[in-house]
Amino acid sequence: MDDEVIVCRCEEVTAGEVRAAIRAGTRTIAAIKKRTRAGMGLCGGRTCARLMARLLAEETGLPAAAVAPPRARPPVRPVPAAALAEED
Amino acid sequence: MTMADVIVIGGGPAGLSAATTAAAHGARVILVDEQAIPGGQLSKQIHKFFGSREHLAGTRGFAIGRRLLEDALAAGVDVRLGRAAYAAYPGTGGEFEVAVYGGDAATGGSRAARLRGRRLIVATGASENPLAFPGWTLPGVMGAGAVQTLVNVHRVRPGRRALMVGSGNVGLIVTYQLLQAGVDVAALVEAMPRIGGYLVHAGKVRRAGVPILLGQTVLEASGDGRVERAVVARLDERGQAVLGSERSFDVDTICLAVGLSPWLELLLILGVRTAYIPALGGHVPLHDRDLQTSVPGLYVAGDVAGVEEASVALEEGRLAGMAAAESLGRGDRVALARAKLEVAARLDGLRGGPFGAARREAKARQVNELSGAPPLSPAAAAGPESVPASRADGRAGIPGRPRPVAVIECYQQIPCNPCETACPRGAITIGSPITNLPKLDVDACTGCGLCLTACPGQAIFLVDRSGETATVTFPYEYLPAPEVGRRVTAVDAEGRPVGEAAVTSARMTRKTNRTWAVTVTVPHAYAGVVRGMLRPRR
Repeated sequence: MDDEVIVCRCEEVTAGEVRAAIRAGTRTIAAIKKRTRAGMGLCGGRTCARLMARLLAEETGLPAAAVAPPRARPPVRPVPAAALAEED
Repeated sequence: MTMADVIVIGGGPAGLSAATTAAAHGARVILVDEQAIPGGQLSKQIHKFFGSREHLAGTRGFAIGRRLLEDALAAGVDVRLGRAAYAAYPGTGGEFEVAVYGGDAATGGSRAARLRGRRLIVATGASENPLAFPGWTLPGVMGAGAVQTLVNVHRVRPGRRALMVGSGNVGLIVTYQLLQAGVDVAALVEAMPRIGGYLVHAGKVRRAGVPILLGQTVLEASGDGRVERAVVARLDERGQAVLGSERSFDVDTICLAVGLSPWLELLLILGVRTAYIPALGGHVPLHDRDLQTSVPGLYVAGDVAGVEEASVALEEGRLAGMAAAESLGRGDRVALARAKLEVAARLDGLRGGPFGAARREAKARQVNELSGAPPLSPAAAAGPESVPASRADGRAGIPGRPRPVAVIECYQQIPCNPCETACPRGAITIGSPITNLPKLDVDACTGCGLCLTACPGQAIFLVDRSGETATVTFPYEYLPAPEVGRRVTAVDAEGRPVGEAAVTSARMTRKTNRTWAVTVTVPHAYAGVVRGMLRPRR
């Protein structure tokens, strides 16, 4: 994956930015998210988390099995905040 | 708040069959799905399905989805479509709470609500894997699921000329469906050195003349504001693009079909234990033989439990539904025990053959890790076996035979048997396991052709060498409709033009379910070669 390729489309984060975060010491998808905002857009990382996992494995030599999926938090589907407030 | 015995999340084949089965054994079941159309991915599938009678094999996918919904409603399941489960929590008394958002005019529009259930079956399926390359964010690059929604549900062509990436069954099937919709497919590229999906699916694409480029991948997409071309290159043994092997295709659509991963999020929130098993799509939930996860009362079924096929999803749904009902003390214990064994045996059968071997071992590991048994050695990645070098027996037809005879070109042990069920003479035998290759009793075959239109793989042909010229009959599913008397270009199994031929018959009945059986007249020498015809240009 070339450095200029966009990994997270929602937040427009490139592979180069994700690599830089990994080189700076991030070792989990959650840490990459916090550093780059990749995975923090509308889709919640449902596409780019797997690309981040691949970059993490490639850069660190970790086996794919060792890269845990990102922590899941509700809501796992887009829901208007107003609906959450009115939940019955 | 509504309290159910069992809540099922997901209305695909796994969820619907789980709900129906649990309800049939006396449980009060609520099923939610975020889509308004039932059937999950089935609702987008217009091809005939593999499997056996228990899996409604030979039926087109969307019809299976509708049928499963009818079954669920008939069993008394409270089916709530158009509602997305956005969270799941453990309740205070060992039950589960599911937060859903959605609704319709009857419920006063979309709103959030909580459901409570004593058992929870998660059947949320899988999501598509991405592939990132320069230009992949251009309009025109899309996933195979989106292409199927456009073409098969909304009847909109995504473009005029496409490049398909990935030769698993999804890539092969969607290529065929693009062709049926009148979209040119310039090529199908596959990074691995072999075709990932079933050869019979590949056969349909090949007969249509689409080149399958193995060991190649898409390097980049480019164009002014949208995809106008794709660059494809060969890969060396380390997976690096070979310099100088680049080739450019003028396409406006690039369709990605590079695998699926289980959609685990709700399970992760509930804290299930997982394992990384590539043969099943990556991170998967551990579960026992009843499909119960490491969280008591929480079950999984279908692709979320490990990416397999719709037939497997149906059976897993049945098993999870029975187990959930049984754990609540519902149903007849003896009958349930027997029924569970039957389903387990059918699941074994579906995971038979070279295609199933890796998944069967992976499933054993998934189950054993939860029970604390030592993990098995990593599964040898069993690739699909190669086609036997000699097809002479099948291809030659039977010279001098007084009537047409079926020629079955099915060379891979896949779980499928509609040909056996279709034959009124019992001339085709598959038996058990369902992955056996079909055997034809040539003397019992009357050449009626029922197997030809029943075969979801379109791998059966009729060859008649009794007359002065031979005839070949093949399945055909393209528009415009084939016309009797018309001169067409006959093609071989690779889609290569063989010569001109006249259409002497084109039969389609309700029973053949939109598949024509087209007969063309060819010289005897070509009876073993001709397997289709060129699609007329629209």
